[in-house]
Amino acid sequence: MKTLVLGLGNTILRDDGIGIYAVRALAGRVDGAADCRESECAGLDLVEMLRGYDRALIVDSIQLEGEDPGTVFRLKPDDLRITARLASLHDIDLVTALALGRRLGFAMPADVTVYAVQVADALTLGEECTEAVAGVLPGLVDEIAGEISGGGCAKISRPLGERKRRDA
Amino acid sequence: MASGKAVDAVYKVKIPAAAAKLRELYYMAHFMHSHAAHFYALAAPDFVVGPDAPPAERNILGLIGKVGLDLGREVIRQREITQLVQQMVGGRATHPVWNLPGGVSRALSGENLETIKGFVPGLVAFGELGLKLFEDIVLKNKAYLDIVLGDGYELVTNYMGLVDDRNRVTFYDGAVRVVDPDGVEIDRYRESEYLAHVAEHVEPYSYLKFPYLKKLGWQGFKEGKGTSLYQAAPLARLNAADGMATPKAQAAYEKMYATFGGKPVHKLMAHHWARLIELLYAAERLAELAADPEILDPNVRVIPSATPSEGIGIIEAPRGTLTHHFVTDERGIVTKANLIVGTTNNNAPISMAVKKAAQKFIGAGGEATNGLLNMVEMAFRIFDPCFSCATHSLPGQMPLTIELKNAAGETMRTISRS
Repeated sequence: MKTLVLGLGNTILRDDGIGIYAVRALAGRVDGAADCRESECAGLDLVEMLRGYDRALIVDSIQLEGEDPGTVFRLKPDDLRITARLASLHDIDLVTALALGRRLGFAMPADVTVYAVQVADALTLGEECTEAVAGVLPGLVDEIAGEISGGGCAKISRPLGERKRRDA
Repeated sequence: MASGKAVDAVYKVKIPAAAAKLRELYYMAHFMHSHAAHFYALAAPDFVVGPDAPPAERNILGLIGKVGLDLGREVIRQREITQLVQQMVGGRATHPVWNLPGGVSRALSGENLETIKGFVPGLVAFGELGLKLFEDIVLKNKAYLDIVLGDGYELVTNYMGLVDDRNRVTFYDGAVRVVDPDGVEIDRYRESEYLAHVAEHVEPYSYLKFPYLKKLGWQGFKEGKGTSLYQAAPLARLNAADGMATPKAQAAYEKMYATFGGKPVHKLMAHHWARLIELLYAAERLAELAADPEILDPNVRVIPSATPSEGIGIIEAPRGTLTHHFVTDERGIVTKANLIVGTTNNNAPISMAVKKAAQKFIGAGGEATNGLLNMVEMAFRIFDPCFSCATHSLPGQMPLTIELKNAAGETMRTISRS
């Protein structure tokens, strides 16, 4: 199975870089088992980035009302109109990108999971995550590495359905 | 790019000619994929699939369903190529770290230039393709042409854009020119003078300011001759200029104004047409820069030696004139910053355009169907607004609420989308 781990974010906006940091930490652990790629873009660019893979594991930041910083949500494409980069006012979202790629005849991943980390601060300039978000990085990397190897690992992520405020 | 120019000014350094050309080359590629994303993914579905089509079909999937898969593949391919050009010139397609005070960090290699030259015919053809599509699908369809020419999407303001020394549209460097609703130049300034020409009005209900022309003063949300409001987006740039600096784009420019019977054009849907003309201009300008022998000059940076203090940089962003203003201490640490981003310029015009469209299409006692709601949203979409940039907020959502009120101001019905 050809797997892509895609980190999305911006490393000069504190917690917004968590996706990038996770992919960098994974790169040395998943040699040969997955391609690791980082990007500050999304939208239409996702079509090219995801093309040719059977499985994609995407790491991004998220900002949900009322959630604790550092909480990791595990999302499927249909959940995905709420992260910073995977939904945009002037570009297409992940669901549309996947559908577009398939419609154009490209091999798009059938299995897509997004790990979305609740941020504490994604607006202040800074090249380090806040303590709460940095603290979940090792567990998040372990979980994704276990997912790739099939060896399993304790999950720190939870489905979006387990968010505190379902109406938020 | 604007911050790069502002920081050059902060350090009082004039960058080498090759550095300016490399920045512009990089920027033309950016303009192309930004405008292509807006037109093909967001704007064209309104026309190709239809403004009242269900949202599930009124998107890029519906577009390629109607126009064909080849178009979709071409959009993906040319966007990929433009980002590859950016990587070859500046290292990264987004957030490059190559744009430095005094120039850029590296020269372009001959090998990369040859690769870019190989892309040029396809990029120019892609620019022409958009205009052909617009002509075939919009201009040759009476119902859509009526939308473009009708008064539902019309706003009479001043228009702002960067121009070169012959008053032609330029994106990277030039003078800011403003024309009034009759097309007469009423203001003109260089970067360092912006504070004397533009001011920002604040309303308590919005994070986003409302810029206006300082010498005319804040007059409220008023359109027509004498207003101090201006638009700064594709149509505004073309209205503010006397023409385009490349031949194919100039021919398209002349055709657009001939269709409308002169300039300036106040029909807001012409922003889409103007955006495609700009896309073609960016492709042609990219070709010119790639053919310029100076683009390979290894002298791409002057190391700044002056004590930093204050600087202003202005470029044309895809969504309008972009101004960056920084004040620093003697170490170059920023102590004050002000950004007027493209969307900010258009804040009042967007608000007024949406209101006019709602009044026109829904009308007194009218029923707001999904199709009519989209017709209102189309007034917003023509500006390709980036509210996350303009307000520095990243909600990742676009909630929309329309309240229908009667003459007494009582809310008759509320329609919301979360």
